Amino acid sequence: MSILEITKPVPESAKRADHRTAGKRGGRNRDHPYWFLIPALVVLFVFFFLPTLYNFIYAFTDWSSFKSAINFVGLSNFSELLTNGSLLEDLRITLEYAIMVAFFQNLFGLLLALLLERDTRINRFARAAFFVPVVMSALAVGYIFQAMLKPEGVINGILGFLTGQHVTIAWLGSTTWTIVVVAVIHAWKWMGLSMLIYLAGLKTINEDLVEASRIDGANRWRTFWSIRWPLLAPAITFNVATALLGSMNGFDIVQATTAGGPGGTTELLNIFIFRTFGQGLFAQATTMSLMLFLMVAILAFPVIRFLRKREEVL
Amino acid sequence: MKKALLGLAAAAAVTALALSGCSDPGSSGSSGASQQWPAQNTNLKGTTLTIWAAENSNKTADSVISGFEKLTGAKVKVVTIPDPYEQGVETKVATGDKPDLAFWQPTASMLTTINAKTNLQSLAGAPWAANYTGNLGKMTGILDGTRYAALVTTPAVIGVYYNKDVFAKAGITSTPTNWNDLVADAKKLKGDGVDPFYDFGGGGSPWGTQWWVQAQLADAAKDGLWGRVNENKEKFTDPTILNAIKGYDNLINDGYFNDNIKTATFPDQGTALLGGKAAMALQVNSFFGELQATASTKELNDKIGFFPISPTGNIGTYIPDQSNALVAFKTGDTKREAAARQFLSYWLGQGYGKFVKDQSTVSLLKGTSTPSNVPTALKDVAASLDDSVGSMQALAVANPDLYLNLGDMIQGTKTPEQVAQTTQAQFAQLAKAQGVKGF
Repeated sequence: MSILEITKPVPESAKRADHRTAGKRGGRNRDHPYWFLIPALVVLFVFFFLPTLYNFIYAFTDWSSFKSAINFVGLSNFSELLTNGSLLEDLRITLEYAIMVAFFQNLFGLLLALLLERDTRINRFARAAFFVPVVMSALAVGYIFQAMLKPEGVINGILGFLTGQHVTIAWLGSTTWTIVVVAVIHAWKWMGLSMLIYLAGLKTINEDLVEASRIDGANRWRTFWSIRWPLLAPAITFNVATALLGSMNGFDIVQATTAGGPGGTTELLNIFIFRTFGQGLFAQATTMSLMLFLMVAILAFPVIRFLRKREEVL
Repeated sequence: MKKALLGLAAAAAVTALALSGCSDPGSSGSSGASQQWPAQNTNLKGTTLTIWAAENSNKTADSVISGFEKLTGAKVKVVTIPDPYEQGVETKVATGDKPDLAFWQPTASMLTTINAKTNLQSLAGAPWAANYTGNLGKMTGILDGTRYAALVTTPAVIGVYYNKDVFAKAGITSTPTNWNDLVADAKKLKGDGVDPFYDFGGGGSPWGTQWWVQAQLADAAKDGLWGRVNENKEKFTDPTILNAIKGYDNLINDGYFNDNIKTATFPDQGTALLGGKAAMALQVNSFFGELQATASTKELNDKIGFFPISPTGNIGTYIPDQSNALVAFKTGDTKREAAARQFLSYWLGQGYGKFVKDQSTVSLLKGTSTPSNVPTALKDVAASLDDSVGSMQALAVANPDLYLNLGDMIQGTKTPEQVAQTTQAQFAQLAKAQGVKGF
């Protein structure tokens, strides 16, 4: 529960003082020799760098389940994939999905944070409640929503009760709107995390500024747009970047709700990769995951750069 | 400096170790040509065998296991691999994790996918192989002349399951004898206000869609279609297969299918047929298994019938699946490998009578009779096997995701031409990866 009790941060001046004393103590490496790092580096190397390296290597081979030998084949996996329409189509779907998730997750997170900003007992409980989906299994979330969104599911039942009509909307059956529904589910699962970070961001805003704006006669709306929103920039940077780039790697929720359907309109690249791997085409699947990695990397730099630029107004 | 060098050396050692492992980890195992087949009752105290099974096959072996454990003193453990089963097994085997036995689709394409020659024990010279009834011994389980799979239950056949009451009500007294008859009956049924055919495009996996294309290809398959496709001499985009895809699309567009085909799921299909909302479902044995879970044998005998269908006659299309057969893995432990063969010998030997009774399934072996409580429809399916022809899965070298592409067609995101193109592209990719000539 402690993570949900957000306290005021240490004032900037105090932090600086801290740095100074740390600097005076200095020379941390004197009592911790560098080679103490080796065990940690080995773990990092074996479980992080090596798989990434293999991801690069295998993309240039013909590794498959059909034979034991693995030969280098140059760029043929790449040229084949780029001429295959499915890959580009799935990349487009993945990007759309990521943008929608980033939008909804931040919208929900920010609204919740503003709603639950004051430290009352009820708000603390509500924060914990909204954080629960974050720690739930994504597959479980997916299967629950899949059951709820069936034409004869609970959601339609509730709508039917409210409208007094028989409702049979196929929420997961539209080739246009299902991707939005799935993105909302993804955003719902992670909105608790965004809420938490926005809450932390709101707490760092100096009360004096808000008070001054009130004295100047600004209403709540004006205070929000002119004072609090610009000062939330660091929280927005973190939230948008993690939501956007994290959902590019989305798989579990979509697999559990639609498995890429209907008509392939929610087939994220990771689902295509999973399908290709299951066909025994390991090298091709690796190549695709490398492309996804590159796309995330290419997207990450400008997005983060842009968001950091926004912070400079502070 | 010295310490930094030490660190560098350590990192280099780890790299070298890891890179030396740069070969397929799932490729160990010795090659064995003809195998020794131990007697069924050889003592196996202290031996534990592991069987991988899917969610719908993890109880199949129960009676066999208890009989085998009593007879030999071995322990047999069933491990359920979650769906999608084939992908799960593939992934595990690729990382070097192997069971002693596993349920596996005994078709050439799926035996190739699991790299049978490297990963599986040859079952050549199996004492039970000569015992299969009819054509079953030659039909499946074999890759390039070597047996790798033991068939334990009837391979599935693609055919029409129909509601007898609905047919009677519409005045249809005899089942159709060719495709045109089938469509004519459908027209009659549509006039009576029932859904002539029922299929499902929802629920993420529209796997029933491909039966419509494959049944229309039965005559062509008899004529060697898949052989030509395997040599890249004929493609999915050529008229034969493309027209079958278009034929399915036309039937949907002409309103012969349920209105909710885009969202209906597999369980809905069974409910609709049993309830008489739909007249026919083109399906395989696992569909009947779903019906058996909800209705008694008597009810099913009274209500549900089966007939195979092809463009010019009543030729069924056989498609063995994962629950029909087992494969034995090369694990490197000769004792357990022999025990696995012994287990198969027992299953298709002393244990078979009890197995077919326990599972209420049609017997595949001479000298073991089919239990009386097997539903008529299943007996009809088994009877149609001898005249049947192989499906894409059984005869083509690779198994592309035709069903998914057809599902896209139902949803309107692919045209029949695009279905053919996408399927052909994937087929060619798989064939090339296998090193098939012509790709």
